[in-house]
Amino acid sequence: MKRITMLLTLTILTFGLTIVTKTAAQNVNEIMKKSHLAYYYAADDGVGDVTMTITDKRGKERVKEFIMLRIDEEDGGRQRYYTYFKKPSDISRLTFMVHKVPDGNDQRWIYVPSVDLIKPISADDKNSSFVGSHFSYEDVSGRHWTEDTHTLIGDSTINGTDVWVIESIPKKEQKGLARKLSYIAHDSYLPLLENYYNKKDKLVRVFRADRVEEIDGVVTMTTRSMENVKKGGKTVIEFSNIKYNTGLDKSIFTERYLKNPPRKYIK
Amino acid sequence: MKKGLTSFSIDHPWWVIGLAVVITAFFAMQFPKITIDTDPENMLAADEPVRIFEHQTKEDFGLSDFIAVGVVRETGAFTPQTLNRIYNITAEIEDIDGVVADDIIAPSTVDDIKQGDGGAMVVAALMEDEIETQDQADYILSRINLNPILNGKLASEDGRAVAIMIPIESKDMSHRIAVEIKIITEKYGGDEKFYIAGLPMAEDSFGAEMFSQMAYSAPAALLIIFLLLLMFFRKVRIILAPMIVAIMSVIWAMGLLILTGNTVHIMSSMIPIFLIPIAVLNSIHIISEFHDNYKKHKHKDATIRHSISELFLPMLFTSATTIAGFISLALTPIPPVQVFGIFVAFGILVAWFLSITLNPAIAMLIPAKTLHNFGADDENHGLLARLMNVFRNLSFRYSKSIVFASLAVVVVSAVGLSMIVVNDNPVRWFKKSHPIRIADTIMNQHLAGTYMNYLVIEGSDDDAVKDPDVQKYMETLQRELEKEEIVGAVSGLPDIVKKVRFELFGGDSTKAELPESQTEIAQMLFLFEMSGGDPDDLFKFVTPEYNKANLWVQLKAGDNMAVSQVVKRANDFIASNPPPNGVTVNWAGLPYINITWQHQMVTGMRRSLISSFVVVFIMMVALFRSFRWGFISMLPLTITIMAIYAFIGFIGKPYDMPVAVLSSLTLGLSIDFAIHFIQRLRTIHKRTANFRESYNEIFEGTGRAISRNVLVIAIGFVPMIFSTLVPYITVGSFFLAIMVVSGLVTLLLLPSIVRIFGNTLLPSTKATQHHTLGTKSKTQEQIS
Repeated sequence: MKRITMLLTLTILTFGLTIVTKTAAQNVNEIMKKSHLAYYYAADDGVGDVTMTITDKRGKERVKEFIMLRIDEEDGGRQRYYTYFKKPSDISRLTFMVHKVPDGNDQRWIYVPSVDLIKPISADDKNSSFVGSHFSYEDVSGRHWTEDTHTLIGDSTINGTDVWVIESIPKKEQKGLARKLSYIAHDSYLPLLENYYNKKDKLVRVFRADRVEEIDGVVTMTTRSMENVKKGGKTVIEFSNIKYNTGLDKSIFTERYLKNPPRKYIK
Repeated sequence: MKKGLTSFSIDHPWWVIGLAVVITAFFAMQFPKITIDTDPENMLAADEPVRIFEHQTKEDFGLSDFIAVGVVRETGAFTPQTLNRIYNITAEIEDIDGVVADDIIAPSTVDDIKQGDGGAMVVAALMEDEIETQDQADYILSRINLNPILNGKLASEDGRAVAIMIPIESKDMSHRIAVEIKIITEKYGGDEKFYIAGLPMAEDSFGAEMFSQMAYSAPAALLIIFLLLLMFFRKVRIILAPMIVAIMSVIWAMGLLILTGNTVHIMSSMIPIFLIPIAVLNSIHIISEFHDNYKKHKHKDATIRHSISELFLPMLFTSATTIAGFISLALTPIPPVQVFGIFVAFGILVAWFLSITLNPAIAMLIPAKTLHNFGADDENHGLLARLMNVFRNLSFRYSKSIVFASLAVVVVSAVGLSMIVVNDNPVRWFKKSHPIRIADTIMNQHLAGTYMNYLVIEGSDDDAVKDPDVQKYMETLQRELEKEEIVGAVSGLPDIVKKVRFELFGGDSTKAELPESQTEIAQMLFLFEMSGGDPDDLFKFVTPEYNKANLWVQLKAGDNMAVSQVVKRANDFIASNPPPNGVTVNWAGLPYINITWQHQMVTGMRRSLISSFVVVFIMMVALFRSFRWGFISMLPLTITIMAIYAFIGFIGKPYDMPVAVLSSLTLGLSIDFAIHFIQRLRTIHKRTANFRESYNEIFEGTGRAISRNVLVIAIGFVPMIFSTLVPYITVGSFFLAIMVVSGLVTLLLLPSIVRIFGNTLLPSTKATQHHTLGTKSKTQEQIS
């Protein structure tokens, strides 16, 4: 009798635990998905001016300015980006376009005005720097939440905002990245802080949402930064003149417009 | 003063010994505070402009010093097995502490600019993952050969060798890291051979090996000297004193060096080896004198007083001249050499002081019983006595021939001196059979070179080096330097620009040229970054502001002569083709630093040798109060230095750092015998006032003492000749050569001169019997 009771208790406990863990797992994946959408798929389209300040480890600064257009085909799915460079002056009029394919290979084109040539380019988005900054392509276009195993570590606050602390471990082994700790805001689902650790569990990079504002009803990170703690150096990206749901035409995001930027948006 | 010190020591031996022990203990207590510095860069003062520029360059371009690992497989290294092993070894090396993992240059870490799917341009790792097929391996080799940034540098064109360049955080880690790399490569087995080379590793390993060699060489020399002394004097108690004097001088000198906050550099680690023989020299003279006199006086106290008093002046002067030789090193602009010179000089002073105080004090404690038969034997029948007879007769009979022979030696030496080649290379401080030398030879045969120099192009404004004229100038300079045989490759920003342009136009080789406009150059570089190129890779060649660019000049040899030749070619080119837009061109890199300090050393050593030569000459004139004797006393030293350095010229041994420093030792030691010889000869002559008697007597006590010294020092340092480190072999050979040559010259040439100019040099005022038949027969008697 006693034995049966014990067995029963054990069974119930095991089941119970399994259910609890599963819910937690679903929850954490849900958080990460929502976070991804809030960060990378705000509204249906967006336009903004970007000032990128790259500070190298010696403290020397370089500034790049460009205009960015984005259109989403579906939330969490395909997206198109169009970038028009303004500064430094020797790359002005250079344009760049990405067709993002979350479950395949992104397609990218660059128009080089000095030789009047459009060239498809394909860089490994996980390890390649975006525009020579401390952000990688993936940091800018978003890493799909299903690529990592997420665990909710606990709750915390960042500058008075409640956040979840979530640990993400890549499912496929990745060079230079063993785990990431994200601090995701309860209210906006935006990651306010991300710490990247390497295989020796040393902090390598730190992402910060330095400024979050509400624009057209969308909570938006207007300033973000990526610091390379290991090697030194930092890149700050500031957005200005952000507009959402401007009704961007999908045809702008084609090769034709690389050579002839759409005047309506590019001034 | 001389009477005072020695008398006090004889009267209060325990006081003197006690005091010496206390002071020695004090200096010995400083030893735990030792800081070791094996960086040859410190041969230059920290504020030396080349060093400041070197550091600035390293900071500007994020450069590190490299350890080069070579993988050689004679039947071809481009197979899946070998490449996969290299892949895994590289991954493990990345985890070693002190390795700058992000900057490793290996097939799995370097980027290739290539055509991806659908004609896309991509900058991606050359070997992204382990491979499976031979085709993949062949493809990787073909990509390397098509890439001007990698071609010949990452792999030999025939594919038999692959290089892994491993940047390290600081040079003083390179020995440890090299050992860890070796463990990793050995673990993987395989049929390829691994070699580890590179200047920083050679320099650091040399430092490490030098200290371990010192730990064994100095005691070994002491032991052999002890055994030789025992053979000569047969009483352990008597020869203990010189050994104690030598050890104490070393402890005092090293203790003071550490106490004054100086680091123990490669140079100062040699102080014991230099001090031991010099310290022993004086003591041997005292014991010899004691040994030869004891039978006359048969009274310990009187013998000691007599010996010291006889030797006081020559000992003072031999020490003073040796001190002059070493202190002159303070005139060189090289800090470690200055420290070395000053503290060897201090040690010699200590040794001199202890030999006239501690030596007699210890001798006083020897019971008379022990001395019972001391000095009684071998007076006229011992081997040394017979040898001295031979010398006496040779110089007496063949005086003119000996003088002519010496003149001939001087003339021949002058030829040899003119053949001296100034050259140095820290890698060559290791014997040919040393793994570092072998690695150096093999890697430089196969690959573009393990010696890295940098040529920094600096413009006045930001973006200055994006200018097409500057780019073109850099490209021409690259090709110009590559004409030099030892230049394996010169890489720079123009290579990247051209490669990007080539790939942008789909591999059209007519497009692999520098663009005509600055905008286009800027856009090619931007394209490189956009296609996945690591900006840090770019910034090894250019600063982010584009005001400075850096040409990597890879050399197959680090010999200063060869490096100087490359530098000269660049300078000549720049002189006849002034750079555009006020751009400046300057050198950085370890090989360049080495030629800079070598140049300073050569001129510095010349200055210090000349000045100490003059000082010693003045001292000799003062000592003998005679210009003539002063001149004669300089002969053994002059001939010894000339002969030894001429020999170096004839055999083609490069005049390098150790050889240069040894000139002050040669100067300091080779005058000693002449001082003893002349001073004693004149003292004897004052007593005998008879040329013949003086001539005969000098070959007795003094002659034996000199020959004992020759044997003790020459043989004592023979173990160094079997070292694996070339500077040690050099030092050991020098001790041997200095002793033998200056001993021979002193015992043959000086008596010959005295014989020829006997009338004026040593006028006989008593019982004039020189140059008569009677004299001759007396000489013949002494032969038997």
